[in-house]
Amino acid sequence: MKNRFGSNVLSILSLAILWEVAGRAMDSTLIPPLSQIAAAWLKLLGNGKLLANLTMSLTTLAIGFLLAVFVGVVLGLLMGRFRAVEHFLDLYVNALMSAPTTAFVPILILWFGLGVESRIAVVFLFAVFVIIINTMTGVKQVDGVLVEMARSFGAKEREIFFKIIVPAALPAIMAGLRLGIGRAVKGMVTAEMLLTLTGIGAMIMQYGSAFATDSLFAVILTVLVVALVTMKAVQWLDRRLTGWKAEIAIE
Amino acid sequence: MPVQTVQPVQSVQQAGKPLESSNVLNALNVLNESKHLVKIHGVSKSFHKIVKENTTEIKALSDVSLSIRENEFVSIIGPSGCGKTTLLKMIDGLIPYDSGTIVIDGTAVTGPGPDRAVVFQSFALLPWRTVLANVEFSLELRQLSREDRTKTARDYLKRVGLADFESHYPHELSGGMQQRAGLARALAVNPAILLMDEPFGAVDAQTRQLLQEELLELWQRERKTVIFVTHSMDEAVYLSDRVVVMSPRPGKVAEILDVPLPRPRVSEEVRRHAKFVDLTNYIWESLKRAMENHR
Repeated sequence: MKNRFGSNVLSILSLAILWEVAGRAMDSTLIPPLSQIAAAWLKLLGNGKLLANLTMSLTTLAIGFLLAVFVGVVLGLLMGRFRAVEHFLDLYVNALMSAPTTAFVPILILWFGLGVESRIAVVFLFAVFVIIINTMTGVKQVDGVLVEMARSFGAKEREIFFKIIVPAALPAIMAGLRLGIGRAVKGMVTAEMLLTLTGIGAMIMQYGSAFATDSLFAVILTVLVVALVTMKAVQWLDRRLTGWKAEIAIE
Repeated sequence: MPVQTVQPVQSVQQAGKPLESSNVLNALNVLNESKHLVKIHGVSKSFHKIVKENTTEIKALSDVSLSIRENEFVSIIGPSGCGKTTLLKMIDGLIPYDSGTIVIDGTAVTGPGPDRAVVFQSFALLPWRTVLANVEFSLELRQLSREDRTKTARDYLKRVGLADFESHYPHELSGGMQQRAGLARALAVNPAILLMDEPFGAVDAQTRQLLQEELLELWQRERKTVIFVTHSMDEAVYLSDRVVVMSPRPGKVAEILDVPLPRPRVSEEVRRHAKFVDLTNYIWESLKRAMENHR
């Protein structure tokens, strides 16, 4: 673990130095040196613009993602457990899973308007299907012997569901959440650029069209950090909930 | 105090038709007056196998009859595919039988009940639960209070020699220890009948022998009826009062053999006993015959 952290730091440092050197050498607005980007970042932070927009974006992200987790896990559990539910829904889930979600943006605008509801809907749509499919797969892969064991000790359907199926499927559900949060971040930025210019997405469009590349890179790097931090948060939750699985994998 | 979930057994023979069919059984009945706890009569079972569009019927068991006395240790032995595990699952009530009857203590089996507990070949421990919580699982389903659960589970972990491992997770234990936990989980609900499905099939030979000895010791103390499925002849003879030899496809009772070896059985002595050797050889011949007849 320590070793990995060291490699990460080394990787970031060498990229930063390379960037700085390349930026200075080229002396072009297209690739500003990292120091200039850092200065722009501090300025955006100082005048409160970055934080205000980030808060707006993250609120959308949080609401959309939590909705996706709730709906995705519930539907996934039902589809995994009940053949009828699966056959009823899997066509749509599979179609929507591989369809480009951005194609639905115009319809969402018509339905929800140009407000925050539409953006939440985009985040939700980006994240929900991968969570459904992972959860469903997790439920289907539960070892039948465990269900048989529970039944032999007199477990009712309800007990089998909550004491066997859900905990056994949890690692797969958490894997779905990890994939889902990544897609949710994409959905967030997409919505803010395509729907209404708000939040982080608006900043990207604005600085992009103004050729303010230093501020543009500052915002893009912020998005990368957000993606990384949210991903790490889900990973942390995963380890808390399914530590037993990680240990098995290591052995 | 272990939790008593099983009704005291009545000594009155339940009403019903006489089920014993083989001479061996009748002869034993004269010698041993204790009542038959499990009565299996004329049980058949078929599975439907669907390959592409064709459904083929596979007869797993055909007209199986067998009676098991209270506190008896009976092994069911047979080649793969003779339906011995199917039979065990039907006694537990996990799968229904097509025809015939399985009656336990006067009541026909319609599903799993508190009077029976299974020990699984693959241990079937919950990997996200500690050893203690795994043993508590069977007690949770019986609606015991938290305190009683923990107390009972600890008590049985002690009996199987796992007291020091209660907070370990299954994957941290050896196969033998995992199966001890599986045994503790089954014993903890204090069943009248212990159903064991090749319980030592997944552990190494030395551990297997140790577990057999421990099981006999436990059985001697707890006095339970044990139905033990195995394909090891040596194991069947060492452990059992009677050995049921089954023939394959469809599974039938080929022969029921009495094991007249004295108890308590000390592994090293018993295995050198002339009767032990004779019996194992005899079962081998019987199995061979059963398999050749099939071919």
